[in-house]
Amino acid sequence: MFKKSLLMMVSAALAVVLAAGTGLAAGEVKVGIMIPTTGGTATDGKDMESAIKLAADEINAAGGLLGKTIVTTTGDDACDPQQAVAAASKLISEGVVGVVGGYCSSATLPTLALYGEAKVPFVITASNSTALVGANPGIGFMINSTGDAQADTAVGLFESLGVKSVAIVHMGEAYSEDLAKISRSKWEAKGNKVVAYEVVNKGEQDFSSLVTTLKAKNPDAIFWTAYYAEGALLIKQLRQAGYRGKIAIGDGSNSPKLIEIAGRAAEGVYCFSNPIVDYLPAAKGFAENFKKKYNVAPGPYSTLSYDGMMLFADAVKRAGSFDKAAVAKALKATKDYQGIAGPISFTDKLTLARSNFVVLNVKDQKWQLHK
Amino acid sequence: MSTLDIIFQQLVNGLILGSFYSLVALGYSMVYGIIKLLNFAHGDIYMVGSFVGLILLGLLSPFLGAGWAGILVAMIISMILVGLLGVFIQRIAYVPMLSAPRLSILITALAVSMVLYNFVMSMTSGEYKAFPVDLGYEGLEFGHVFITYTQIILVSSTALLMTVLHFFINKTMLGKAMRAISIDQDACRLMGINVNSIIALTFFVGSALACAAGVMAGVYYGSIHFFMGFLIGLKAFTAAVIGGIGSIPGAVLGGLILGLLESFGTQLPFIGSEWKDVFAFGILILLLLFKPTGLLGKTEIERM
Repeated sequence: MFKKSLLMMVSAALAVVLAAGTGLAAGEVKVGIMIPTTGGTATDGKDMESAIKLAADEINAAGGLLGKTIVTTTGDDACDPQQAVAAASKLISEGVVGVVGGYCSSATLPTLALYGEAKVPFVITASNSTALVGANPGIGFMINSTGDAQADTAVGLFESLGVKSVAIVHMGEAYSEDLAKISRSKWEAKGNKVVAYEVVNKGEQDFSSLVTTLKAKNPDAIFWTAYYAEGALLIKQLRQAGYRGKIAIGDGSNSPKLIEIAGRAAEGVYCFSNPIVDYLPAAKGFAENFKKKYNVAPGPYSTLSYDGMMLFADAVKRAGSFDKAAVAKALKATKDYQGIAGPISFTDKLTLARSNFVVLNVKDQKWQLHK
Repeated sequence: MSTLDIIFQQLVNGLILGSFYSLVALGYSMVYGIIKLLNFAHGDIYMVGSFVGLILLGLLSPFLGAGWAGILVAMIISMILVGLLGVFIQRIAYVPMLSAPRLSILITALAVSMVLYNFVMSMTSGEYKAFPVDLGYEGLEFGHVFITYTQIILVSSTALLMTVLHFFINKTMLGKAMRAISIDQDACRLMGINVNSIIALTFFVGSALACAAGVMAGVYYGSIHFFMGFLIGLKAFTAAVIGGIGSIPGAVLGGLILGLLESFGTQLPFIGSEWKDVFAFGILILLLLFKPTGLLGKTEIERM
């Protein structure tokens, strides 16, 4: 009798310990969030966390996932590779069925092997370095466009505008030169012409001689791949000199300051932008809910993070179970999932199939969505 | 555009660029002529000038509008203010160093430069500021060559300022005193010239001219930032050396030559616009090697 009650007590204690180990009551399922909540990128990280939690809450309010309530747990990668490995190990040991997040590519990179070993599907919502593609053991699903998707968007825009010849101007540093190079090769691969490929110096104010060169070559469109400060001056001087072709600028120039400096010369300029709430009609409801819940406006990667959680839930439903391999398989088979930041399908390298860059156009001194 | 069109358009471009260089180079040359100081803070005076102009324009535009009237009044007031700033800097930073070795005062000038741009950087948090003026894109068109009215006004006001300066230096007593000091300070003192106040006046005029260039650059280009004085300071120094540092017509000539060289340099085959600065500073090095006195700076006695 005494022995029996002891046994019961021990087993009850064990059950409590076990339950505490995974921290789960029956009817709950754990999803990991990996983002930086400390350090210089914490603002964006916390913003992503809020968006993912908002998505989880909405799923729970609508009856949960396969009858279970989603509980999120956050691992702080601090945008640091070493911290990220610790955060990933913590999430895996807590028994998560999947992970959503990933902000700094350098921090996301070493965690791929860990998640790969544990077979945990990982929806990567912001990190977009091409370095991740090669290191992916088949469990990382990148829903943000990689670097060269912007060039595709640019080429697509030029073709849709009937542009035949393009001039590309960059500033000679890594970001803008890369974009210029990729855009040039993609544009030429389609059998089109790049009539001028020029470089300007950072901090320059007078672009008159470059403007004369460009005007003489008379391209249908000019693509500026660097930042807004010099870009605004170049646009202004091009228009002042009477250039009437199209002007497009990369996402580095996506700033209201560009319009402020260039004034009415900015009118009609095209700009490529990551999917930000302001330009996504489908994200309007999300933005309102986000504001209501957190009392701040959603930040740059919030829509993608929200989509990441929703996509994961969608894949679980399609798989019909929480089995990690089945969920990963369902994620891979995602076809035109309608996220608020745009449709999601994956290439066989598990990157976003269609560039998610949106095209903006200046109308009445404001950025507006093109088309 | 035909080749001839391009040549004419680059001529226009070069003249506009050159008039900015000339205005700033004048201050360099005047100060060097009178106290043999390479005032490396001069580019930052230009920068401060454009910020003062921006603030004044903001204050004045409710009354005068953001058109030419507002710009003109804002420019004149900021020229006076920045001229006084130049005198203030000279009093606290350079006067105590006048008897020190030449190198010490040069380093002081670098320090003044850092103080000025760091001050503006902290006040603006390093942001680009837009000039709230829109002067329109109308202009004259000769074939494919296009000159806006803004450009015409800009170049003519530069020419006007230079003419006034020319008369001031050559036809007035104060100008005569300046020229005299550049030849022999001690003799001037013996003749009863107040050397210190004439040096202060030189700083005033030089700074006011740089300020005029700064305000005009803000109006013309439309954006200003704390570091804009650095590059133009170096370019103006190059212009002053080309013309012969210490010589006033030389500074004007040097500025125009530099502007034209930069414009046309980028037109050479296989040379893109990123080589602009290489051109400017390559010429500086060549000149320092082969003709350090510059084009018009040969006569040691006429050093003003």
